[in-house]
Amino acid sequence: MRSKSMLAAITIAGLLAAATAGTAAAAPKPKPAKKAAKVIRDIRLFISADTNIQDLWQKTLIPAFETRYPQYRVDVTFDLHGVHDAQTTAKVTAATVLHKDPGIDLIDGGFTVQLGTSGLLAPETVKTMPNLKLVSPSVLKAGRGGIPYRGSSVLLAYNATTVPTPPKTLDDLLAWIKANPGKFTYNAPAGGGAGYAFVQTVVDKYVSDATRQKMTTDVVPELEGEWTQGLSTLRGLNPYTYGKNGTYPANNTATLSLLASGQVDMGTVWSDQFTTARRTGAMPANIKVTQISNPSLTGGASYLGIPRAATNIKGAQVLANWVLTPQAQNLIMGGTLNGYPVIPLKLLDPTLADNFANADIANLRPTYTSAMANDLKNAWASSVPGK
Amino acid sequence: MLLIIGFIGFPIALSLALTLGFTGGLNQIIALIGQGIRPADHWWGTMAGYQALFSDPRFNGDLQQTIIVTVVSTIVVLVLSLAIALIVRLHRGRIAQLLGAIIVVPMFVPVVISAWAIHTFYGGDGFVRSVAALLGLQAPTLTSTMWAVIIGSVWTSLPFASLLVTSGMQSIPDALIDAARDAGAPMSRIVRTIMLPLASTQLIIATTFTSIGILGSFTIPYFLGSNQPTMLGVEISNFLNAYNRPQQAVAMAFVIFVFAAGIAIAYVRANLRGSATEARA
Repeated sequence: MRSKSMLAAITIAGLLAAATAGTAAAAPKPKPAKKAAKVIRDIRLFISADTNIQDLWQKTLIPAFETRYPQYRVDVTFDLHGVHDAQTTAKVTAATVLHKDPGIDLIDGGFTVQLGTSGLLAPETVKTMPNLKLVSPSVLKAGRGGIPYRGSSVLLAYNATTVPTPPKTLDDLLAWIKANPGKFTYNAPAGGGAGYAFVQTVVDKYVSDATRQKMTTDVVPELEGEWTQGLSTLRGLNPYTYGKNGTYPANNTATLSLLASGQVDMGTVWSDQFTTARRTGAMPANIKVTQISNPSLTGGASYLGIPRAATNIKGAQVLANWVLTPQAQNLIMGGTLNGYPVIPLKLLDPTLADNFANADIANLRPTYTSAMANDLKNAWASSVPGK
Repeated sequence: MLLIIGFIGFPIALSLALTLGFTGGLNQIIALIGQGIRPADHWWGTMAGYQALFSDPRFNGDLQQTIIVTVVSTIVVLVLSLAIALIVRLHRGRIAQLLGAIIVVPMFVPVVISAWAIHTFYGGDGFVRSVAALLGLQAPTLTSTMWAVIIGSVWTSLPFASLLVTSGMQSIPDALIDAARDAGAPMSRIVRTIMLPLASTQLIIATTFTSIGILGSFTIPYFLGSNQPTMLGVEISNFLNAYNRPQQAVAMAFVIFVFAAGIAIAYVRANLRGSATEARA
C-alpha cells in the first residue's frame, strides 16, 4: 500500500515537472540586500579555495582593509577546496540571467575566469580601479574581466638527502621516475592542482604550440585527440610511481605528507602550500623545491571577480583596488601565504621581494580553461589509474 | 503526502528528466553549465546519456567494484554479527556481555575519524607494516585497495547489524531452546532449525540495511579506496564536481537506485512476513 501511494506521488511530481518545463524557471528567492541605512556597508566576499587562502583573507587582508576603510565590512562565505564551484557558478549564472541578486559581491575562486568568459563579470576598468595599471597587461587580459591579485605555481619538491641533483627538464624527470621506482608521486588531478599540473605538463610535451595556446584561452574539445600520447606516457609511469599499482594520492596535501614522512623522494606541490608547510614545521628542511623546464610545470595568477549582478559593485571595486596596493601585496608575499605578487617588485618591500625574484607572474605557464581542464581530468581518470 | 511530493518525488522526477536529456525548465541552468550533456531526441527523451555511461569502461569497473564490496562486506558483517549474537545469547557470562558492549563502540565513532584511523593502521607507514618490518617481514599496503574499503565497510556496519541480530536472538524464548536440548538435539541443529528461522526477519532487515548503506557509501571508499576503479558514490561526486558532467552523475545515481530498490523489495517482504507472523501469534 505504502509503495503504491509513493508511485502515485512520483507520477504526480512527474506531471508537475512536465507542466513547468518550458516556462520560466522559479528562481531561488534572493536574500534581501542589507539596506544602506547604516553607514557601514557589507561587501560579500565568496572564497573558494584551500584553508591557506581563507587565512590570507580572514587573518591578514580583511583586518587591514577594514582599518583602512572603516565604512566597509567584509562578509566572508568560504567553500573549502571549491567543492561547490559548479553550484556557485550555476547560482551566479542564474542570478545574472534573471536579474536577481546572486548574494555575492566579490569572488576569489578558480571559476572566476570561466564566469568572465561567459560574460557574467562586471568589466574591470582602470577608472574605478586605478591600481590595475600596475598589473601586467597580458595577465590582466587572460582574466577575461577577472582581476589578478596573486599568483602561485606548481613546483617539483625533492628530498635533497637522497636526491642531491634534481632533474632539470621534464625528460630528465621522466627518466628519473623510471630509474627510481616507487619514489615519485603526483596526486589525482581531480583532487587538486598540484597533480593536475604534472598531468597537463606531460600532456603538453606532445601537443603542438598552437593547440596548447588555444586550450588555455578557448574551449576546443575537437583538439583533445592530441592528448593521447601524453596520457599513454602517464599510463606507462603507473608501475614506477608510489604504490606501483597505478594508485595516486587523493589531493595536494596527501602528496605533501608522503614527502614529509619520507615515503616518496619527489612529488609535485603548490609553491604556497609548500612554503607554508615549511614554515609551520610540517615539512622537514631536507625537502627542497625546484622548477623544471621544457615544458615547465604550470602556474599563474588567481583572479578576483565581481559578478555583473552584484548589488555592491562599488564596494567590491574598492576592495579589489586596495588588494593591488603595495601594502596589500606585501601582506600576500609575507604573512601566512607567501603568494607571488602581481605588481612590480620594485614597489614592494625589498626584504620580502628577494624571495620572488624568479617568480615573474607574466611568464608562468598557464593552465587550460576550466572546461578543458575538466575534460583532461576526466580523460586521465579513464585512461591512467589502475591500468 | 505533500511533503513526499515536494521533497522526494519532485527532485527525483526532475533528475530523471535530466538523465533522459530534458534540458528545459528547472534543468535549464544545470544543462547550461554542465559538459557532455546529451539532449533529448525523442518525445520520451534519449538513452544516449545512459549509453555513454555504460560504454565508459570506468563505469563497468566501478559498478563491479561496488557490487563486490557490497556483497563481500555484507556477508562478512552477517557472519560476524550472527556469531556475536549467538555467543551473547547462549553464553550469558561476563565476557559475552562485554563483547556485546564492545561491538557497538564503532557506532559512536564518526565515519571520517574511523576511515582515517584505518588508513593510518593499514597504510604504507602504518601499524601493520611497521610491526611486520620489526619482525623482518614485508606486509602489503592495504590502503588504496578494495580490501581496505571492505575492512572499513565492515567496521562501520557491524555495530548496527549485530544490535539487530542480537535483539532477534534475545527474543527467542528459553523454553524452545531448552526443550530441544532436553530432546538431545546438538547445538548446531538447534541453531539451524530453531534460532535462525525465528530470527530470520531481523536477519533480513540487518542484511538490507547493511547492503544499502554500503552500496551508497562515500567516506570509506573516498579515504581508503583506489583512484580507479572506485565505488559509485565517489565516482558520482567526481563526475558532478571534478569533471562537470551532471547528466552522467545523475544517471549513475539511478543505477544505484535500481539496485537499492531490489534490496528494498526484499526488506518490505520481510516486514510483511514479520507482521503476518505477529498476526498469527
